[in-house]
Order: sequence, then C-alpha cells, then structure tokens
Amino acid sequence: MKKLCLGIESTAHTFSIGIIDFEGNVYSLINDIYVPEEGGLHPGLVRDQHLNNFMKIVNRALTEAKISIKDINLIAFSQSPGLGPVLKIGAWVARMLSQLVNIEIVGVNHCIAHIEIGRLKCNIKDPLSLYVSGGNTIVSAFESGRYQIFGETLDLAIGNMIDSFARDAGLNHPGGPKIEKLALNSNNYIQLPYVVKGMDLSFSGLYTAAKYLLQSEDYGIKYNLNDVAYSLQETAFGMLTEVTERALAHTEKKEVLLTGGVAANKRLQSMIKYISKEHDARFEVVPLKFAGDNGAMIGWTGILRYQAEGRHEINETFIKPKERMDHFTIPWRT
Amino acid sequence: MSSDIKKEKVIKKGAEATLYYGHWFGKEVIFKYRIPKNYRIKELDKAIRTERTLNEARALIKVKTYGINVPQVFEIDFVNSTIVMKYIKGNRLKDILSNLDDNMKKNYFNDIGKAIATLHRNGHVHGDITTSNIIISPENQIFLIDFGLHEYSDTIEDKSVDLHLLKRVLISSHGKNYKYCFNAFLEGYKLEYEKIKNKEYEKIIKNIDIVESRGRYIRPEARL
Repeated sequence: MKKLCLGIESTAHTFSIGIIDFEGNVYSLINDIYVPEEGGLHPGLVRDQHLNNFMKIVNRALTEAKISIKDINLIAFSQSPGLGPVLKIGAWVARMLSQLVNIEIVGVNHCIAHIEIGRLKCNIKDPLSLYVSGGNTIVSAFESGRYQIFGETLDLAIGNMIDSFARDAGLNHPGGPKIEKLALNSNNYIQLPYVVKGMDLSFSGLYTAAKYLLQSEDYGIKYNLNDVAYSLQETAFGMLTEVTERALAHTEKKEVLLTGGVAANKRLQSMIKYISKEHDARFEVVPLKFAGDNGAMIGWTGILRYQAEGRHEINETFIKPKERMDHFTIPWRT
Repeated sequence: MSSDIKKEKVIKKGAEATLYYGHWFGKEVIFKYRIPKNYRIKELDKAIRTERTLNEARALIKVKTYGINVPQVFEIDFVNSTIVMKYIKGNRLKDILSNLDDNMKKNYFNDIGKAIATLHRNGHVHGDITTSNIIISPENQIFLIDFGLHEYSDTIEDKSVDLHLLKRVLISSHGKNYKYCFNAFLEGYKLEYEKIKNKEYEKIIKNIDIVESRGRYIRPEARL
C-alpha cells in the first residue's frame, strides 16, 4: 500500500480532513463548514462547531478512504495563519492523533498549501499566483528560495470585503456567489474608489463607499443592487488584475495560477485569463474542490515538507496565527 | 493631430504607459501615453487613466515651483491620457553610475538628496526613486522624472519608504559601494531638510530601519 497522509485544515470556517497518498492521489476529502445565522465568523462559535464535529469528520474521511487510522503514515495540520481559537482545534486534533496512534506530525502554512495544491492539480511548475479568499489576498511567486509576496491587501481581504457588503445588502452567507449572480444583470457602472498603492491593494474605502450607496436616497431609484454589485466587482477585480499584471511583467513567469475561494468567480477568471494571454503565460484555475480551504492541500504540503525536511517535534507544533508565507524557505523547490 | 505635433519613435514600453519621443511646435518632447487596459470595463479604465494622467501632470507642475528640476509640462491631453513634456537630454544615472569617480558620485548624490528633501518637506513623495528615474543633464544638473506613483503625503512612514526604495536599488545594482552613495545622499537630504522642518529628517531616517525589519522588505539572502 502507498504511504498516506491525513491533512487537517482548520484556519477559519472550514474544518476539513483530506487523505492523500505520497504521489498526490486524494482518497477522501470531507469538509464541515460553519455558516453563521447572522453576522460574520465569530471565532468562538466557529471553534465550538469544529470542536463538536472533528471526530465525525475524521471518521467519515477514514471510512470513505476505506482505511483505518493505523494505515496513516503522516499527519499534517494547518499551523498558520488563521483565527487563533480555530487553528488551535486543528493543532490539538493533530497532536492527539499523532500521540495516540504514534504517527509523525508536520505543521503547514495554509497559504503555501493553496499554491502547492494548485501546482499539483493543474500540473504546472512555476506559476505567478493570485490567491484570493475570505482571509487573504496575495500575489506571489517563487524567487530566491521562497514564495515571495509581490502584492497584498493592506486591509480587508477581497472575499471578506464582498461577503461583508453582501451582508449589508441583506444577503446571507456566503455572499460572494450571490453578488456574482446579481452583477450579471447590470452594466451600469457607478464609480467607486479604486486604490492601488504600488503593488498593494486597499479595499476598505471601496467597501465603505459601496455600503453608502445602499443607504443613499438614490438607491432603488437611479440604481439598484445589481448595479452596485456590478460596480463593486468590476472595481475590486480591476485592482486585483492590475497588480497581478504588474507582477507578471516583473517576474516574467510563464504560468499564472488563480487559487482560493474567490477563484470560483467567473468574471475574475476571465480578467486574469486575459492578462495571462497578453503576457504569453498559461492560465490555470485550481479546481473548485481544491480551491477553497481543504484538508487535501494541507496533506499534500505536509508530504512535501516531510520529504524535504522531516517531521516536526511536538514542541514545534504550536500555532502561529500571524505567520507570513514568505517567512519560510521552500526546500522542496530548490 | 496637426503637423506641429509629431510622435517619432517609441523610447520605452512600460506596464502602464508607452513613452514616445517627438516634436511639439518645434520643441523636443516626450509623449507619455497611458495605454487602455481591456480587461477592465471602459468606464473604469477611462476614469483611472484620466485620474492618473492628471495627478502626474499636476505633480510635475507643482513640484517645479519648489525649484526641483523636473520635465516641464507642455500639454495635458486627458482625452487620450497623454502628457506632453519636455525632453530632458542627458543620461540616466543608472547607465553612468559605474563610470563615475567618487567625487562625482558624492556631488550627484548630494544634489539628489537635496532634491528629495525639498519634495518631502513640501509634503510630496515620489514613490519610485530609482537610478533609472534620475537624469543627469550635460550641464551636470539632476532631473527627477516619472511621477506616476507620486503621492501627496506628509507622514514619516511614506517618506522613509521612499528613501528605503532608493537604498534597495543602490544595494541591488551597485553592491558594496552603495553605502558611499547612500551616505552622500543622506548628507544632502539632511542639509536641505534642516532648512525648514527641524529634525523631522532624523525620524525619517531612523524609520528606514523599521521599514526594513518588516518581513517582506528584508532581502531573502539576509534572512537565511
């Protein structure tokens, strides 16, 4: 039997277990997603749900893969970055299983995992990647031994911004897909703040301005929600694409990878595809199943790290909620 | 376009703009044309290009009144998002730096320091101080060009980021000798800054270290 890794993702609303072998074949992937009844993600409530459900998820993943926990050779977990209370659950589960069944353990950076699963599943080698999700907005590429960050958000993450706006508009979680749908009904652009600072982005002013449009007297008369959704998307994605294009021109990479939960947005896909073509680069979107937060990507990155540098000791497995992806050297790529 | 205005050749193609050399009513000029980006919708694209063209042209005009050498703006054509400005004869500092003797380097960097200090103490940051954006005229004058990333700012942070960028460029392109140049730069910078805003430059220079200590700005080699 092939060597197997159990990957545990627990950084935000998704608690996920993925079972993947050392060649990259995924045997099972089970997600449990926290959906707030109102408001956003309250870390304490997310933690409670994950704490209540983790054993069920682990068992379902093992059953679906038709294996027992004793067949697992390596446990990988998301060690950074994320919501502290939620990261802790993943780390606890990993340490517990590791010590109970005596399996080697390895901690993984969540952002790097998003890129690594993309490289595996899209079969590309050295992409410039745009990683867009509820918690992160990062343009990065591999240079001088690291995943260097070329541009990132200075305040809100793109997914967070869209979800927050959707909530203000009375749409429930997750708002992204609903905003995308509404935007298709409009081509009436209302000007909104477009903030690119060098290679970095800022979405907070855009969010506030869009929110004020909903509260304005003209709302429902001169324009409707479709128009605001359309303008919000066009502005935010225009910013993302501009920064990605600049990084692409600078790094001269021949592949572009779009990953993270917001990668599912068709309009963003078409814009990034357009600039990739202009720079003669191959464009790939990570398959939806592996684009959002998932345990398989943690498992795969754990395998890469384990093969290059070995396991972590238990006292090296504390969570690091604020750790950046460019903090690490990437031995499996040098 | 009348026959008095002639674009003759492309001299640079950037990610955002194309520069043409040409003539404008008998004067040698540069046309800086901001290219349309088809990935974004037309209304947005137009608004961005117009805003940036105006911002850059305004900055050039404003900064000139402080006595800093920058290209003179002849025409702002925001319909075509183009700035027509004086063609500055001379060499880019980048191309001649390695051939300069120490004394020349010192003089030039002193002058550059003074020019940047004048910008900063008047509440402007250049945003892209690199050796490619500094031209040395045949009369040995310093010209600052490319105000595409210019911002109005009076914060210590923005100003030290401005200086930090120059330091990085010097390190990456001129290696060990960067210190000599950068110190000459700081000397001129202090001298000029002191004339108005007392001691603010100390905070700015000190803050460069803090900017550098943030992960993403540290050179990869230095972290290993």
